[in-house]
Amino acid sequence: MATTALTPAATAYRSGLYDWVTTTDHKKIGILYVINSFLFFLIGGLFALGVRSQLVVPDNKLISPELYNQLFTMHASIMIFLFIIPMLAGFGNYIVPLMIGAPDMAFPRINALSFWMLPLAGIIMLSGFLTPGGAAAEGWTSYSPLAQRAYSGMGTDLWIVAVALIGTSSILGSVNFLVTIFKMRAPGMTMFRMPIMVWTVLVTSVLVLMATPVLTSGLIMLFIDRNYGGHFFDPATGGNAILWQNIFWFYSHPAVYIMILPAMGMISEILPVFSRKPLFGYKAFVFATAGIGALGFSVWAHHMFTTGAVYLPFFSFMTFLIAVPTGVKMFNWIATLYRGQLTFSTPLLFALGFLSMFLIGGIDGAFSAAVPVDFALHDTYWVVAHLHYVLFGGSVFGVMAGTYYWFPKMSGRKLNETLGKIQFVLMFIGFNMTFFPMHLLGLDGMPRRIAVYASTAGWSQLNLVATIGSIIIATSMLPFLWNVFITLRNGEPAGDDPWEGNTLEWATTSPPPPYNFDHLPPIRSERPVFDVRHGRVADHGSQA
Amino acid sequence: MPTTRKKLPRLAAIALPLIALLVAGCASQIPALYPPQDVTSQAATTRSLYDIVFLIGAIVFFFVEGLIVFAVLRYRRKPTDTELPPQIHGNNRIEVIWTVIPTAIVLFLFIISWQALNSVDAVTADPAVRVAAVAKRFSWNFLYLGSNGRPLFTTDAAGDGNFGELVVPVGVPIQVELYSPDVIHAFYVPKFLFKRDVVPGRTNEFDFTVDAQDVNQTFRGQCAELCGVGHAGMTFDVKAVSMADYQTWLQQQISQALASPPAAPSGSPAGGGGTPGGPSPSAGGAAGTSVQITAQNIAFTTTNVTAPAGQPFQIQFANNDPGTPHNVEIKNPDGSVAFKGAIVTGPTTTTYDVPALPAGTYPFQCTVHPTMTGTLTVK
Repeated sequence: MATTALTPAATAYRSGLYDWVTTTDHKKIGILYVINSFLFFLIGGLFALGVRSQLVVPDNKLISPELYNQLFTMHASIMIFLFIIPMLAGFGNYIVPLMIGAPDMAFPRINALSFWMLPLAGIIMLSGFLTPGGAAAEGWTSYSPLAQRAYSGMGTDLWIVAVALIGTSSILGSVNFLVTIFKMRAPGMTMFRMPIMVWTVLVTSVLVLMATPVLTSGLIMLFIDRNYGGHFFDPATGGNAILWQNIFWFYSHPAVYIMILPAMGMISEILPVFSRKPLFGYKAFVFATAGIGALGFSVWAHHMFTTGAVYLPFFSFMTFLIAVPTGVKMFNWIATLYRGQLTFSTPLLFALGFLSMFLIGGIDGAFSAAVPVDFALHDTYWVVAHLHYVLFGGSVFGVMAGTYYWFPKMSGRKLNETLGKIQFVLMFIGFNMTFFPMHLLGLDGMPRRIAVYASTAGWSQLNLVATIGSIIIATSMLPFLWNVFITLRNGEPAGDDPWEGNTLEWATTSPPPPYNFDHLPPIRSERPVFDVRHGRVADHGSQA
Repeated sequence: MPTTRKKLPRLAAIALPLIALLVAGCASQIPALYPPQDVTSQAATTRSLYDIVFLIGAIVFFFVEGLIVFAVLRYRRKPTDTELPPQIHGNNRIEVIWTVIPTAIVLFLFIISWQALNSVDAVTADPAVRVAAVAKRFSWNFLYLGSNGRPLFTTDAAGDGNFGELVVPVGVPIQVELYSPDVIHAFYVPKFLFKRDVVPGRTNEFDFTVDAQDVNQTFRGQCAELCGVGHAGMTFDVKAVSMADYQTWLQQQISQALASPPAAPSGSPAGGGGTPGGPSPSAGGAAGTSVQITAQNIAFTTTNVTAPAGQPFQIQFANNDPGTPHNVEIKNPDGSVAFKGAIVTGPTTTTYDVPALPAGTYPFQCTVHPTMTGTLTVK
């Protein structure tokens, strides 16, 4: 930034807020992404508590069905579009240029634009609550014809605009990541020396670039249907209801990988550092990541098995197949721990939480891939359990691991370990209490998205357990927020490299200066900082 | 040691779901990790597939989770660990093994689930009972179809107690066709271990055969695809009876349906309909004779109408189904089309000018929904 050009009169504006609002520094933008995403995480979490408090007892009249439908729709929309995806983009923003030894992202001002579209989109989406018909209430999947004008109000139009904005932000961000990764790596940082985190951001960006425009065009068609009498998705006017599902899931299944791959990347950075070993099978890991990305485009219709409108064996086969690269990753992570020297700091605890919970989410996937079993489980609470084991047990635990791991780099101070462990234990217990019983509820036939259930249905006890669990999850955020607060005020200084890290972000100060590096260590492997610390010039791949 | 303290909550938390599982298995009131007992032959197939997937899933879970727990317990860093552990970058042999074995497992699972699918999804050409299930915000209506594909009798969703209950004989294949006049719903009976979406503009069908031993039971069904504010209340029952009871019940329904309409030559909508249109005979004698036909809940509310022979007449057609296209298509006795009215999307009324027809009996139907049928008597 051209600070020298500013006159002394401008200094008053440069302080604090002005600096953050106008910044094009990838680190500040990354932090803005992370803060913004955590705020939406809290909002989405409050909506989830609303949903759980309605379901705590049978025949509950606490929340009207109208509001209930809005709450779960906005919970999912916010968690997916305004928390997980931007949160991972935020970490990518902060970490990727540092990891590849670059001074900034390739297009700093586009980077700022992609970020600032998000709070705007969030405000637009939430403003649906102020319209007469309330916010969007068709579920985050917004199936037509339910999402047509005849059945839904202006909140749905606002939802469409918001999601299209977020999609545009993602597309801009992914172009930025791709150019940064391909063109701005430091000398010596070959593709196969890039940290896995960078690889996952790379594959994620390709997914975003290929899938998001499809969603955007679908959203525009839905908007035309609703407002200008289009005939795309409404059978009453000659449209096709299934077409929307094909378009929507063509984006939204790859979106699951958009939401999990960077979290896998974080885990793949954290496990080696805290076991003092390199990641087991680096190249296999890269190929598995690319394989998941490629297969991710051929499984979208497994969300549509019960429509009677898809060729079942193909999508069943591809869905089963995607378990293979995912399994390879799981074994690589565990083999990284094997014969290591594990230090149970909070980042590692959350990473282990990721491994053990994502495993359940993955095994659940095999049930859904077996089509007849999916006929029984589809659209029941079992699916709610499955997706939360992937996106909460996976992505959220990954995000928490990453937060504890990189917070010292971002702020210069280490988060308190005791509070971190309290948070982990509470979150782990609360998470399992909330979501494991949902497997059983779904198997017993409780459909998702119902606002009430009868006391005779036999679902009362497990719903009560789930609601208690959700309160424990909410409680687990309190030690975290307190931890951030006291650490920023008076935390233990972290130093450049508090964890004995492997990758280049630990070779600069905490927080790093503008443009990141005064000088770079030689890059001879995927662990340049490790090599410097242990005085070795690594010979990648041949040590055993 | 702080290290032992750390891992205990973790283990407890891993054990928690397992304990919950065991508890759930013991207390019969609470749902368990197994689906409910299957009651159809299709569900039995799905259930055995579930058992295999569950077994493999459980083995994988305990194996992999065991590896994680083992590594966590065994490889803690000790104060004496100043030297680096062996820096293992990979091992081709073991990586091939853990690629090939999962591939073999998922191929096996795919093949058995494909086989199961072929039997669960099979549709017979000759079902014993054919039912058109009409899912409409927020209720179910079941129309029993004759061998010609037309309803044997028409029940009105608001009327006669048939609403929301599907009565089927055990031991024979039942075929269900699914129609929706509005948004997507899903036919879901948990004990069938099955659901199928009801998609407007599309006819899905499936078969099921209730096991003979489950006779005289009632199974709970529910809409499984979000359809709006009344979604949670969109329930129905499936009642399984013996074939003899089913026949008695069916005959009773048919005679009731024949007896209950006021036998007006042209229909007035059944109770609850929004159109107050009076019977046309009072208006008879005017220049053109007018016949009233009403479509509601994917059915014609009046299935027998009369028109004069040898002169043009008008059909006052009321489509009371919001967002759903209907029309009246009159067929000649030989099956060719005598008259086809323009398709209109409800709720609306329209007037068709029908050319003169010779005396005779003419079936009519909705072009969009062939299950909607009636008879026009021209005399």
